[in-house]
Amino acid sequence: MAAVAARPQRGAPGFARRALTSDHLVGWLFVLPAVFLVALFSIFPIIWGFVLSLQKASLISPDRPFVGFDNYSRIASDPFARQAAVNAVIYTCLFVPISIIIALFLAIALNQKIRLIRFYRLAVFIPVAVSTIATGVMFMWLFDVNFGLANWALGGVGLGPFGWFNSPSGAMPSLVIMTVWGWLGFDAIIYLAALQGVPHELVEAAAVDGASRWTIFRHVTLPLLGPATLLLVVWSTISAVQLFDEVFFVTKGGPLGHTSVPVFYIYKLAFTNQYGFGMAGYAAALAYVLFVVILILTLVQFWMGNRVVHYSS
Amino acid sequence: MRSPKGSRTSSHRSKRRLVVPAVAAIALIAVACTSSSDSGATASGSGSPGAPVTLTMWHGYGNVIDNQGQTNYEAKSLTELVKQYNAMNTGIQVKLDYIGSNDHAFDKLTVALNADEAPDITYQYGTSMAALATAPGVMDLTDDVQDPTFDWNDFSEGARQAATVDGHVYGIPALIDNLAIVYNKDLFQQAGIAAPTPDWTWDDFAAAAKALTDPSKKQFGWAYPIDGSEDTVWHYDAMLWEAGGDILNADNTQAAFNSDAGVEALTALQQMAVTDKSVYLDQQNTGQTDTLFNSGKIGMLVTGPWALSGYPDANYGVQIMPSFSGGSHATIAGPDMWVMFDNDGHGDAAWQFMQWFTAAEQVKEDAMTSGHLPIRNSVVTPSFLKEFDNKFPGEGLFAENLQNVTKARPVITSYDQISRIMGEAIVKVMLGQDDPKSALDDAANQVNQALGG
Repeated sequence: MAAVAARPQRGAPGFARRALTSDHLVGWLFVLPAVFLVALFSIFPIIWGFVLSLQKASLISPDRPFVGFDNYSRIASDPFARQAAVNAVIYTCLFVPISIIIALFLAIALNQKIRLIRFYRLAVFIPVAVSTIATGVMFMWLFDVNFGLANWALGGVGLGPFGWFNSPSGAMPSLVIMTVWGWLGFDAIIYLAALQGVPHELVEAAAVDGASRWTIFRHVTLPLLGPATLLLVVWSTISAVQLFDEVFFVTKGGPLGHTSVPVFYIYKLAFTNQYGFGMAGYAAALAYVLFVVILILTLVQFWMGNRVVHYSS
Repeated sequence: MRSPKGSRTSSHRSKRRLVVPAVAAIALIAVACTSSSDSGATASGSGSPGAPVTLTMWHGYGNVIDNQGQTNYEAKSLTELVKQYNAMNTGIQVKLDYIGSNDHAFDKLTVALNADEAPDITYQYGTSMAALATAPGVMDLTDDVQDPTFDWNDFSEGARQAATVDGHVYGIPALIDNLAIVYNKDLFQQAGIAAPTPDWTWDDFAAAAKALTDPSKKQFGWAYPIDGSEDTVWHYDAMLWEAGGDILNADNTQAAFNSDAGVEALTALQQMAVTDKSVYLDQQNTGQTDTLFNSGKIGMLVTGPWALSGYPDANYGVQIMPSFSGGSHATIAGPDMWVMFDNDGHGDAAWQFMQWFTAAEQVKEDAMTSGHLPIRNSVVTPSFLKEFDNKFPGEGLFAENLQNVTKARPVITSYDQISRIMGEAIVKVMLGQDDPKSALDDAANQVNQALGG
């Protein structure tokens, strides 16, 4: 309707009038509030963050001298940044494949025509909808060294007791278990949708040709799940590298920094004084480096994905 | 943006019908983004004495009725005092704003300062004072507190020290507490051991912890937070002072905690956590130990007066801190502060309210409603103590224990960094990954670097 109302009036002369009365202008005016908000809440902070990364700054104090690229050059020699980077690599290498592989088999199970299937699908998806804090509280008690259900059950079959979040070597695997549980439903739903998009003709044709169930899965279904897998790998990797909530609430980076991950370390630098006073500029620099790392990771994944994934849905 | 009437030709009308709502929408957003900010600026304080000044006061005490339907007496006390003040019609109205846990009060203030929306009064931890002193608009109260009617020396030495940065006072003590032993009388009886006495040593404490530990019943003698936070560190600080040590040297230029006293204190922790395994090590530190103590799974805690209301099911007693041989029964206080910002010239009004709010009468009223220890010494009379301890069993000892507060943590901007480094050393030792001497020496090196740079 807007476009109709703004149609140029007959005989309106001149370029200026055409521009003013064209559909473009009205279109721009309609999106202007959104553009304004995006600019205010995204683009402005991005620019401000870059300016901050060139300063020695505490967010509490207005005294923020420029230090050029000093904040960037000190990253290489910062043992805590290195520790956070190593932890992020370990976490991502565990979280991404484990969650995707389990989700695939779960999705296949949820794609069967059995009774109560809607209930099972709901049950698998519920953890995604549960807040991180609730999940955290539950796993803290589940994995409590002395009173937890996990050690009690494993003790029943002669295993443990394990240190879980308390032990420097066990905290990261515990974090992976907790986050895989929390995100599995999301991955499974994506796979389930993709599985239901696999054309029956292809499966039937393969069956007629005498292919076994495994061969059908391996050579028909799996390749057709390629786009979904690519999406999940990219999505999971980005969220793994940006891990924060669970660490902030459950492990607080400990014990002894074994679960300190980049975003958590950046938060500590910017909003607390635990790594020194006036580290907000350095935190901004680290955030920029993290952004570039994620960008490169994603581009590499898409590039590799396009070589491996041959079908698009 | 609006053009004068009749300045445009009528041929534009159809278009303008669209432009005006779009512009109005943007204007509306712009207004929405800014209008909520000037909470205190409804009437400018200078010039018009008749117009009321509205002050915003941030606190972390929660809502008067908590989410389980229980009355929160800390919030109730604060709300009632403020209501009382507002009813006095002094021309100053105080608006309370619950901003969530005090643990994040500093983070929130940081964000507010960057948005130029600092509150007029905010609750802050004493350990943040040095950083807060650098904030724009923060009120320097050095001269104000010298007003004889205010009686600054009525506040405890430790609290005054924590409010002072380089000789300047930036806060008024809001809350003072301290650490003492809270023990489960029933568990002591079951184990057949005598209750803690005022002349206990840490050896007595460790022996009791060992006797109270029973792995088959999942019962522990003691609990210790090992999340490496300030909570980990201040428990140790008290022990360090009891052994005669100090965190830093006198002029805050060098680490001093790796002294013999520091090693002795950390060795006691190592003995209990690693050798005796009599300590429930709380990695998350989000309330588990209080739950466990209340359900009779932990024999002793070293905790403060705020925790007592969480033990309705435990038959508990309270005793002052143990000492090391030849040392003291020192405890540590965590004074928190009311910090004020001079927004739109409302600083005088904020100070006027604060004088009333922290006067002896109000301090006493707050203590009797909320169970807070009185922040003014003049309130702590024998008759008050009796009444206080009757109403809040165990609080009387905490009030008296304020006498054992002889030292404060250093008020310097690098304190939080020092705390993190010490926290790591303590956790390392309690997890059995390092021995006290080398962990503390390593931490001292890091602290000296932080202090030097």
